[in-house]
Amino acid sequence: MQFFGGSEISPSPPAPTASGNNAHMIYVFNRNGVCLLYREWNRPLHTLNQQQDHKLMFGLLFSLKSLTAKMDPTSAEKGNLGVPQLPGQGCSFHSFRTNTYKLSFMESPSGIKIILVTHPRTGDLRESLKYIYNLYVEYVVKNPIYTPGTPIRCELFNTTLDQYARSIA
Amino acid sequence: MSLFLFILVISRFFSIFFLQIPLDMAAIYSLYIINKSGGLIFHKDYGSAGRMDTNDSLRVASLWHSMHAISQQLSPVVGCSGIELLEADTFDLHCFQSLTGTKFFVVSEPGTQHMESLLKVIYELYTDYVLKNPFYEIEMPIRCELFDIHLTQAIQKDRVALTGR
Repeated sequence: MQFFGGSEISPSPPAPTASGNNAHMIYVFNRNGVCLLYREWNRPLHTLNQQQDHKLMFGLLFSLKSLTAKMDPTSAEKGNLGVPQLPGQGCSFHSFRTNTYKLSFMESPSGIKIILVTHPRTGDLRESLKYIYNLYVEYVVKNPIYTPGTPIRCELFNTTLDQYARSIA
Repeated sequence: MSLFLFILVISRFFSIFFLQIPLDMAAIYSLYIINKSGGLIFHKDYGSAGRMDTNDSLRVASLWHSMHAISQQLSPVVGCSGIELLEADTFDLHCFQSLTGTKFFVVSEPGTQHMESLLKVIYELYTDYVLKNPFYEIEMPIRCELFDIHLTQAIQKDRVALTGR
């Protein structure tokens, strides 16, 4: 938690403004590409079965990361395209927007990837992702019966997350 | 006659040389145009650090084409038409897709505004100087001098309007 400054869970979630139904879904992956958590709140369209969907999402993030690392216009030494990047290495990205959704992405130093899909007009969600990461640390990592690398089944985490997702504007 | 040809060649050389000068203090780092099957048909760099070689720019372009397609599949609601803006740590990528599937994307400094209108202007130049050029073969790399000239002007004008530099 040194990485994000502060070792405690923030007392108040960052800027829970107007309540709404803005969050569509969340994915949490570990560094091996295992989907630890998938929750959806508002997803009318399913194009693939769940496992394929997770794989495609992880693949998209992996490739976008290697694309941004290669494209980075501020560094001269960019390495080769497609070579796996360690967390925090190379130029990464924090969000992209399409006409129907916005995807915000955060990677922790240990390779935990948190992906939040929201309405396209939501603002910068980097603080929200950090808050969700804090929730993960508090409710999942500190849970003594949780085995790292397995799908998350912590009731308390899920309810807190659902509650927080409703407050994202 | 030969003198005339010589002058013609020299002036052409200078015009090309002039257009290739990298414009420093970039608000826009580079511009890519890819055809509907993901092939790079135009790439221009406006002063990013560490030049990409031709092979890498081709790869990056086709990778972007695939990412654009995958992002449509992952949409939670119907009617997604692909990534419009990618916000990376050190740059923003704005993408515009024309109705025929040609994609235009610019890499700019983070937080640069009005890139959508610049992309529309570039699209207009493309339709006027590339598509209406009788010697241009569709879906093939763009080599049109008038397009180059007007593009350089448009980007310079945009930069002046944006930053006053």
